[in-house]
Amino acid sequence: MPCTEAFRTQAYFDAELDVGAAVEVERHLETCADCASLLSELETTRRLIRDQAPYHRADDVLRRRIADSLGREDGDRPATGRWASARWRFLSGAASGSAATALAAALVLFAVLPPPSSPLVGEVMNAHLRSMMSDHLVDVVSSDRHTVKPWFAGHTDVSPPAVDFADQGYKLVGGRADYVDGHRAAVVVYRHGAHVINVFAWARDGENLPAGATRNGYRFAFWRRGNLNFGAVSDTGPDELATLVRLIQKASGPA
Amino acid sequence: MSERRRRFEAQALPHLDAAYNLARRLARPPLDADDIVQDAMLRAFRAFETFRGDNMKPWLLSIVRNCHLTAVGLTRHKLETPLPSDAELDLADRGLIVDDPDPEASAAQTQQGRQLSAIIDRLPHEFREVIVLREMEDMSYRDIAQVTGAPIGTVMSRLARARALLRQAWLATGQEAPHAVH
Repeated sequence: MPCTEAFRTQAYFDAELDVGAAVEVERHLETCADCASLLSELETTRRLIRDQAPYHRADDVLRRRIADSLGREDGDRPATGRWASARWRFLSGAASGSAATALAAALVLFAVLPPPSSPLVGEVMNAHLRSMMSDHLVDVVSSDRHTVKPWFAGHTDVSPPAVDFADQGYKLVGGRADYVDGHRAAVVVYRHGAHVINVFAWARDGENLPAGATRNGYRFAFWRRGNLNFGAVSDTGPDELATLVRLIQKASGPA
Repeated sequence: MSERRRRFEAQALPHLDAAYNLARRLARPPLDADDIVQDAMLRAFRAFETFRGDNMKPWLLSIVRNCHLTAVGLTRHKLETPLPSDAELDLADRGLIVDDPDPEASAAQTQQGRQLSAIIDRLPHEFREVIVLREMEDMSYRDIAQVTGAPIGTVMSRLARARALLRQAWLATGQEAPHAVH
């Protein structure tokens, strides 16, 4: 039967005891042959492992793989990344059907649209359509601003307010990383009845923002707050979009 | 490179060898330690916001351990089944006595190193990980408890049994144990 102090002897060996307890164990070791022998065995076993057992280290191939994988996650990709991904989806989905059909329909839609007057309107509309036709509306699903806003901090260059306005009829669905005009943008996604509203935010100084616009059944609103440009787009009515914009501006604090 | 990634790498990469050594000791074929570590680093990066404190090692190693378990397909339920008692752990049946070291092990390793490595690798998972974390990584009971999700008392008892099993298996090889230095 092992000594009842065997556990404390091990803890002493592992330097886990405070000074008082360590002194007690040392006193015990002077009289208990079992524990003195255990201490010696523990020392022997540790020396054996530390001297003899191979320690495996990560090699350069693994380090490279990890760097690449973190880089992809971090957004080391060209500004056309989402388009490349859509093309890939088109090619890979060509045999399987529905995704390819949806994309083909969307491409036709782009082809017949008249060019919008401001390039920014076109950019935001394209981004909105891409988000609607792919399975990529949101990267982070949450109605909690404390989830969405920190997510932006790690995945985009900007961190706009992400407030749930469910009480006013605008439910926060989540957030997404996207691109507007070649700039990384944070997108706050709302649902209003059957409509999805994308609110883009990106940092760019001195950009001329268009006034509100209506294009092909989509409403647009643009505004600037601090160093951020905002663009909201949806197929809701103009008043409904304006209401959300006022809510967001109010939540952002004084201009 | 984003500031976030810079901060993550500054804190995580110093522990990459520890992560890999643990994964190598945990993973059995066909599982691949490289895949497990890569997966763990990506998950850690994604969850970086949830990391608190200034010592990332236990947090990172717990993710490595979880990635391994995910890869194995073990459920939490299975993990909580009690370990066999000392009496039930028959050394010979558990294959803890090694007379045929892994022939693929590096020729540069000593005979003793190969045999010891094989003994460690044949310890039950719960014993193997505490040996790696305590003796190879020199981690405290508290940090080991964080990595393994076990209470400190459990860590202590597993460590005691793991050390006893390892010592018995080593003595059974007939090799001379190095003398303790006092």
